[in-house]
Amino acid sequence: MTVKRLSAPTLLLLPAVLVLAAVVVVPLCLSFYSSFTPFRLTRPETFFTFIGLRSYRNILSDANFWWAFGRTVLLLTIALNLEMLLGLGLALLVEKASRGQRLLRTIMMFPMMFSPILVGFQFKFMFNDNIGLVNNALQSLGVTRDAIPWLIEGHLAFVAISIAEIWSSTSIFAILILAGLLAMPKEPVEAARVDGCTPWQTFRYVTWPFIMPFAYIAMTIRSLDVARAYDIVKIMTDGGPAGRTELLWTLVARTAYSDARMGVANAMAYFSILLSIVFTVYFFKKLAAARTQIGAEW
Amino acid sequence: MDANASARLKRRAATIAHRVGLFLAMLFICLPGIWIVLSSLRPTVEILAKPPIWIPQQVSLDAYVAMFSGVGKGGIPVLDYFRNSLIISVTSTVLAIAIGMAGGYAFARYRFRGKSAMFLGLMLTRTVPGIALSLPLFFVYARLDIIDTHFGLILAYVALNVPFTIWLIDGFFRQVPKDLAEAAQIDGCTRWQAFWQVEFPLAGPGIASAGIFAFLTSWNEFALASQLTRSINSKTLPVGLLDYTAEFTIDWRGMCALAVVMIIPALILTFIVQKHLVGGLTSGAVKG
Repeated sequence: MTVKRLSAPTLLLLPAVLVLAAVVVVPLCLSFYSSFTPFRLTRPETFFTFIGLRSYRNILSDANFWWAFGRTVLLLTIALNLEMLLGLGLALLVEKASRGQRLLRTIMMFPMMFSPILVGFQFKFMFNDNIGLVNNALQSLGVTRDAIPWLIEGHLAFVAISIAEIWSSTSIFAILILAGLLAMPKEPVEAARVDGCTPWQTFRYVTWPFIMPFAYIAMTIRSLDVARAYDIVKIMTDGGPAGRTELLWTLVARTAYSDARMGVANAMAYFSILLSIVFTVYFFKKLAAARTQIGAEW
Repeated sequence: MDANASARLKRRAATIAHRVGLFLAMLFICLPGIWIVLSSLRPTVEILAKPPIWIPQQVSLDAYVAMFSGVGKGGIPVLDYFRNSLIISVTSTVLAIAIGMAGGYAFARYRFRGKSAMFLGLMLTRTVPGIALSLPLFFVYARLDIIDTHFGLILAYVALNVPFTIWLIDGFFRQVPKDLAEAAQIDGCTRWQAFWQVEFPLAGPGIASAGIFAFLTSWNEFALASQLTRSINSKTLPVGLLDYTAEFTIDWRGMCALAVVMIIPALILTFIVQKHLVGGLTSGAVKG
């Protein structure tokens, strides 16, 4: 009897793989199977009825699902791009400051400490049409006389959610980009200036390529965690008013737990998982590419 | 105006614009937090006042007193939630760090087939949205009868934290030069000794910050906790926050107070780790 000795890395990675298999992979396989059944929590026997792709056909022809899907992609696109831009701006502002860098950096991290659910609740409070800070300020300043129904009107609610989302995640970008700016050697920038580049050219062709990997790290980290928007939306509007801010994740939760239609919810969940995976793999690829590019130039 | 003066003026204007921009940005970042703290200290009448009262007329700690005075006296079982949150977060963090250290070390020090695929694969398990994961977990946990237990939530959080912990710790071990451990081994240490006596102390601060990051993730998690907990047996603080919302009304002041209680540990811990955290995430960004 020969027991093949496991190599060191295999042995070291084994616990991680085991835990992830037990808690993530196996349950996901189970849910993949159940997406082919009409499984309802209230009727366990339905777990063994096989209905093939009917759940998928149903959700694919369901307008509500596509609206939620579109809205999720829209929110992510808007939020990620604005977070990137604002984070870059914030990082440049802080990097330029001559005094109080430490304090500024600490303040910059402030939103990172808020759990998404707190962010949601806090912005729900601030955007409250009756007692919220935003409306109070607008009314006191005389911008508007009537209360603006921030969380009650569909489009405004979407705007409010985007603002909350952007507030909570811009600092991740800002901090990582700032780390890139601080790690950057000064000589190329000076050389560019000596050679007569305008500030914009210096930024575009010298600074930006250097901090790009850092931006992609931030993007990757964010895309690992995009679904945290669920917490924010759940608290702020819970998908309302009348489903106008329903995202993929809130729809999944509603279908599964309120309607108890687990099979259908699992089928939907697979779309949200797919969405996350696409985002992450895309940014991982970008990250790898940006790293090799920097390696070649510096 | 000569060129010198105009250049000086331009420069001054740029400085002022920079300061104003910085101030506005910082204000926007801080305002929500300040508003929460302020609201937790004011009487409900003032929060609901129309027209708004900007400057607090009276400040009191009533909300905190009410919150901690227990169920029935306008409070919620905060202490139970706090205890649950603490037990679950600490245990899952310790486990995630132990597992993550093994994994991170493997990625930093060994070459093996399919390394980058393995790394990506581990990361991808993290991308599964909490709410999507909660469906099958709910089902499995219900079968195993571990819904509404500490164990169930700890297990889920360990899995949630391991991928990111591996990423961070991998970065920290990469920063420790390989030669050091090799020198120790030449001097007669076993690999095991070299790790504990040389590499571990050097990567220590980084590992600690990875730990704090994991702790914060568990401390703040909501999507899974909201489905896998039921009662004061295992409800955590983020779920407890919902106790302040009734069908149509929300106790804003109480919620603000609980928010402050939740945020303070997070605040302290984040300050401690901020430096190492950024270093760990970006290590290898420059050198590949």
